[in-house]
Amino acid sequence: MTRSSQQRLRDELVASLALMAAVAAVPLAVTNDYWLGVLIVSMYFVFLAGGWNLLAGYAGQFSLAPATFAMLGAYGTGLLAYHWQVPAWASIPAGILAAALIGMTLGRIVMRLRGPYLALTTLSFAEIMRIVIGNSYDFTRGDLGLSVPALTNNRLVWYYVFVATVVLMQLALYALLRSRAGLYLMAIRDDEIGAASRGINTAFWKTAAFTLSTALAGLAGVLYAHFSSLVSPELGLILQTGLVICMVFIGGIASLVGPVFGAFLVYLASEALREAGGVQLIVFALLVILIARFFREGLWGLARRLLERPAP
Amino acid sequence: MPGQRVLNIDLFVNGLIMGSFYALMAIGLTLIFGLLRIVNFAHGEFYMIGAYAYTLAALKLGLSVWLGLPVAFAVGGIVGWLTERTLMRPLYAGYASWGLMKDEYAVVVTFALSLLLINLVDKVIGPYAVRGPGLVDIPRIALGPVMLTGHKLIATIVAFAMIIATALFIRYSLWGRQIRAVAQNRLGASLAGIDATKTSSIIFTLSGALAALSGALLAPIINTTPDVGSFPAIKSYVIVVLGGMGSIPGSIVASLLLGVLESFGAVYISYDYRDAFGLAILILVLLLRPQGLFGEKGREV
Repeated sequence: MTRSSQQRLRDELVASLALMAAVAAVPLAVTNDYWLGVLIVSMYFVFLAGGWNLLAGYAGQFSLAPATFAMLGAYGTGLLAYHWQVPAWASIPAGILAAALIGMTLGRIVMRLRGPYLALTTLSFAEIMRIVIGNSYDFTRGDLGLSVPALTNNRLVWYYVFVATVVLMQLALYALLRSRAGLYLMAIRDDEIGAASRGINTAFWKTAAFTLSTALAGLAGVLYAHFSSLVSPELGLILQTGLVICMVFIGGIASLVGPVFGAFLVYLASEALREAGGVQLIVFALLVILIARFFREGLWGLARRLLERPAP
Repeated sequence: MPGQRVLNIDLFVNGLIMGSFYALMAIGLTLIFGLLRIVNFAHGEFYMIGAYAYTLAALKLGLSVWLGLPVAFAVGGIVGWLTERTLMRPLYAGYASWGLMKDEYAVVVTFALSLLLINLVDKVIGPYAVRGPGLVDIPRIALGPVMLTGHKLIATIVAFAMIIATALFIRYSLWGRQIRAVAQNRLGASLAGIDATKTSSIIFTLSGALAALSGALLAPIINTTPDVGSFPAIKSYVIVVLGGMGSIPGSIVASLLLGVLESFGAVYISYDYRDAFGLAILILVLLLRPQGLFGEKGREV
């Protein structure tokens, strides 16, 4: 990794930590439970966006199933608690592990597919999972959803659990991307055949990226399940995946801070626009099209370009 | 058991009928995905727009239902043309220099386009289901042991006529031959004096128009809602992949096969999981027969 790209990664980490520090200070000013809840759900999307960005932005594998793995993680923990009364300290890691294992298996299977084929396969997988969970009434209670025992009803506790976990995720992603593994992933994204010819085990690293990304989605799902104490197949709607993609593209794909920023921006804006008549998805979809068409680096890229302009 | 036999014949015929609508939709996607190798996640929305165009032309504008079909065809064609004109052009002109890979650009842009069209229709027309008037007002026609509504019969005939017309168009007309040339090799075709960009434009227009017509024909049978296109779209992908990527006869056979399979699967295996069958087939074909994915061989220049 060249000096300047290391510098850039560090800037992105600092920017995202600064953003999270601001988020951590919000409860000083806002005590409204509703808005704290909105911010908590935004952070749920931060995990999904961060995980998808690792897979799509850094490793170049465009999966269309991030929301599905959140659903799988949430059902993993939810079913353990519902059927066998497994306590949260065991069911939370079990849910994440379930999502990661299924993700690893899927990653292993779809390895040789690229571009549109990968997108189609993951999209089909997402729909199959949602149909199966939504219709297996006896085991999952289907579309009614599953209630999960709430660990605590104190919003503030949940709020800081989410903030702390997001910070941990950012630090972990930073460490990963700075390391050799990060270089391998980016090499695979930029030129897979070239990377393989330089001795990178592309199969291994692509599966690893898939597994990590789905583990992050699973983490989002289990936290959300215990926070909202309800899981339903709606967590895995394609629309949710669409939101995650909007967040990453609007914030700025292939940067550490872009998805974090994008998740907060898109989710808060969608709450605000919902009251203005439900035009939020029209706005986001248009923004994504414009960004993908004309300005790939998203809002973070725009900000950086303005900041980096040399002083006259 | 005679009752069983009648049921089976009924399932078979209904499967073929659904298959003919699938085919109309899948041919458009065969052209885009199979021949141009561009993924289009908004294909289902072309279908949805066709269903709305037909229904609204009949109910709001008071046009004859027979005029509703060409209206839907034209509206779908315009949307397809606009999609190509505004979003697809960078795919031909070295988008790679932007750092976002070509295929991934198409995935994201058409995915967002699908989101945009669904929510635009939801906002402008409303999320409530609408149902178009039938082409003919005959509630029941007996075709041997099979009972059909008059609309279903006429719509199936129209669908088959359009499928045959499209197949002949691609096979024999000048534009059709240009389309096949560009599909084989874009550079080679342009060296031979074919305007490849114009040809792509024709493909998108035709593809949008056919999907919209399929939606229009189904509008009196299904409840049209803004997100009605998502399952037909996924099914079209199943068909295109199953039919050998880019082969029009292949995709027609695959459409009829899928229609019949679903019709039987819903009764004999499970109704709740009927939409999952096709998806499972898609994954299996993509994984187990990747060599079957690459339709006609390209030619080097």
